[in-house]
Amino acid sequence: MRRARTGVDYKHTEAGGLTREELLKRAAVGGGAILVGGSLAGVARGATDALEATAPKRGGTFRIGVSGGSAKDFIDGQNIVTRPDQARIVTGWETLVVFDSQFKLKFDGLAEEIEANKKADVWTIRVHDGIEFHNGKTLGAADVRYSLQRLINKKLGLFGGAALQSVDPARIKKLDKRTVRCTLKQADGTILDALGQYIAGIVPVGYSPTAVGKAKPNIGTGPYKVQSFTPGQQSVHVRNPNYWRTGQPYFDKVVIIDFPDDTARVNALLGGQVDAITDVPPAQVAIVNGHSGTKVLESPSAAWTPICMRVDAPPFNDVRVRQAMRLIADRPQMVAQALSGHGHIGNDLYAPFDESYAKSLPQRHQDIEKAKSLLKAAGQSNLTVDLQSTNGALGMNEGAQVFAQQAKAAGVTVNVKILDSGAFYGDQYLKWSFSTDFWGSRNYLSQVAAGSVPTAPYNETHWPDSAHQKFLSLYNQARVTANRKKQAKILLDMQTMEYDAGGYIVWGFSTLLDGYATKVKGLKTGDKGVLPLNAFGHGYRTIWFG
Amino acid sequence: MSSGAAAVAGTFARLQPRGIPGFILRRIVLGIVTLFLVSIVVFAATQTLPGDTARAILGRTATPDSLAALRKQLNLDEPAVKQYTHWLGGFARGDFGHSRVGTNPPVTEVIGKRLENSAVLVLIAGLISTPLAIALGAVSARRRDGPFDHAASITMLTLAALPEFVLGIAFVVLLGTTVFTVLPAVSLIPPGDSPWSHPRELILPVLTLIVAVCPYTARIMRASMVEVLESDYVEMARLKGIREQRVVWRHAVPNAIAPTIQVTALNLAYLAGGIVVVEYVFGYAGIGSGLVDAVHNRDVPVVQALAMLIAAVYIVLNVIADVAAILVSPRLRTSLQ
Repeated sequence: MRRARTGVDYKHTEAGGLTREELLKRAAVGGGAILVGGSLAGVARGATDALEATAPKRGGTFRIGVSGGSAKDFIDGQNIVTRPDQARIVTGWETLVVFDSQFKLKFDGLAEEIEANKKADVWTIRVHDGIEFHNGKTLGAADVRYSLQRLINKKLGLFGGAALQSVDPARIKKLDKRTVRCTLKQADGTILDALGQYIAGIVPVGYSPTAVGKAKPNIGTGPYKVQSFTPGQQSVHVRNPNYWRTGQPYFDKVVIIDFPDDTARVNALLGGQVDAITDVPPAQVAIVNGHSGTKVLESPSAAWTPICMRVDAPPFNDVRVRQAMRLIADRPQMVAQALSGHGHIGNDLYAPFDESYAKSLPQRHQDIEKAKSLLKAAGQSNLTVDLQSTNGALGMNEGAQVFAQQAKAAGVTVNVKILDSGAFYGDQYLKWSFSTDFWGSRNYLSQVAAGSVPTAPYNETHWPDSAHQKFLSLYNQARVTANRKKQAKILLDMQTMEYDAGGYIVWGFSTLLDGYATKVKGLKTGDKGVLPLNAFGHGYRTIWFG
Repeated sequence: MSSGAAAVAGTFARLQPRGIPGFILRRIVLGIVTLFLVSIVVFAATQTLPGDTARAILGRTATPDSLAALRKQLNLDEPAVKQYTHWLGGFARGDFGHSRVGTNPPVTEVIGKRLENSAVLVLIAGLISTPLAIALGAVSARRRDGPFDHAASITMLTLAALPEFVLGIAFVVLLGTTVFTVLPAVSLIPPGDSPWSHPRELILPVLTLIVAVCPYTARIMRASMVEVLESDYVEMARLKGIREQRVVWRHAVPNAIAPTIQVTALNLAYLAGGIVVVEYVFGYAGIGSGLVDAVHNRDVPVVQALAMLIAAVYIVLNVIADVAAILVSPRLRTSLQ
């Protein structure tokens, strides 16, 4: 029996690294499609040809088995904790702007227009006319204001709020029926990215579905309405007949079923009791592909499961020890064994989808002799360390174990301690000197803000160490540098510092593996994976039964 | 001994009822004491689970804000002793408290449906496996060292050596997914539905449970039958010219069944707590998977209620087995008089 991997990284739709210049240009475009991030780097770009070219058909009940899930599941248009929560939020809730399947931001959501002033500290948001909530109420400015205020309400602790800290809840003004103006606490160029996160859904005034004793109808503007929900088991969602995108969605019903056990989930797909599943274990990919009527959908992602070394605690406060550990890693072997080959090797750098990803830095390879001499110079030959890990996401425990094997060659004894997630993420989390962790797809500056500066909520490595405080001034500079070329230069300097002396061993990026019955049409191969199964069939509205 | 003490002892002896009703009463009182001791162990164990509830619920996505909000909502700051007495008091009144996760539903609501689902599984598995095992054991003993006995022995030993999840997966591969797709590979009972209305979904988990528990009972039955069949009274019955069929089923089986009752009770009790693996393999929403989930979430009230429930099932089944064993064996029955 194996508990499913429920690694959920709620901020993975962020695409930071925008310059103010670009933003203003983009804001002026108005309703048109906008580009963020640019081309990808590092990770192979998959073919994006459609799997089939049939016309969509109406009807049927789509059943999906989702990994993880437990009694703590909830449905909230602005919050998620478990994988099934992700699967459910996209049925009924939509954002103002959206990220497309190539990790680019588009005006394809509820907003007709979002404009910023020159300084990017006043933002005007106007929603489309005539969009209705599930109860028939028309979406308006008051709902947008309430949604933003709810997102950043600290008492609720919603994850989507973290990226919207510059929004001042007291200064969101309703201009007319469909328009609000937000005056920010300070200029912020990442507002659109934060609004595009799937957890920044727009909810009606007064929305509080999980408030104990005063729950309101759990409604949004999305393609399906919640019909029934049993946490830890299943939910049923029925087609919203008044959905604003003509013709969509195609299914009459969507049933989302929790499957904490990997084997049961795969068996349900093979036995035809569900039409799709998330997170096929790598070892079972061949089984699903070999079974008639089922297939695995592979989506390259920038999700990573690093081994983290604390740069301010022995033995890793000596940069030579960190460098030695990075040279011990045989990355192709780690990807081959820990991810069963379903991934790409890493180069101790994150954010490979970012256009500023430092491709120019040479790929690091295993070099046991050099690692040994570095350890000797540091006085750490025959080093013994405990490596803390937990079953948080595929690759954490597996990567730790493969690494421990490889370390033997350099005379290093790595004792892998696999902890219960409650213990791992307990009081010691972010204090372990040597541990694993997981991260979703993010652009470089967003990732730095989330994990590599002292103000970051999850800085496992305590980077930067005292010798690299310059990293912080570079970071602050990068955030306000409008010139794209200049900014790229700064980002390269930052990445070079991390490449030379950082605390992460970034050995690989995993590929999202989801299973589906071949009668399900509309899924695309090669889409950039942020949410599983092409973002759950884009909220179960761009897929259908053929 | 002083006369006072003698008087007290006498009173006590008078108050202590004799015979079978007295035996049953004593076993029930002992059972309640055991349950009370179990409650202390269960409570202490739940207190020592590493990591706190708020962390367990939010996991990696915890932020200081959300942690603080959740801790406050769950009243996690009360002292342990106060929490224990509060819980025990509620437990005695039949109030199991409220779950700590989600919208804090009452524990009875969380486990009620699961309890029904698991009870149905255990009941069907018990009703089929017990007579089956007794028959298998009796027939094996009757044909001792014959081809049937050898075949049955080897099969039983092999099956007993396989963990349930291997059996479960083997059945799924055979009947659910790969070889024949005649039965549902997972047993999804939609919330709100009775398991009785999904008989097809029950077949594979029940089959797995039967195969998992049958060998133990059958082997005990066989051993005790072998012994009985060699006894003097069976020899006597045969010499009197009674038909072998009648000798076996009327004279031997009733005497061989006492140890089997104990094993059956243990098996049923095991089923109550041990179906977790089977429930997991089949995605079946029962108390086993509920318990795993509750431990994972540090949902202490649910863990406590389920642990107490499983302990109570053990105790009740053991009392029933003891009483049944006495009722079916004349020697034990008379010794109580």
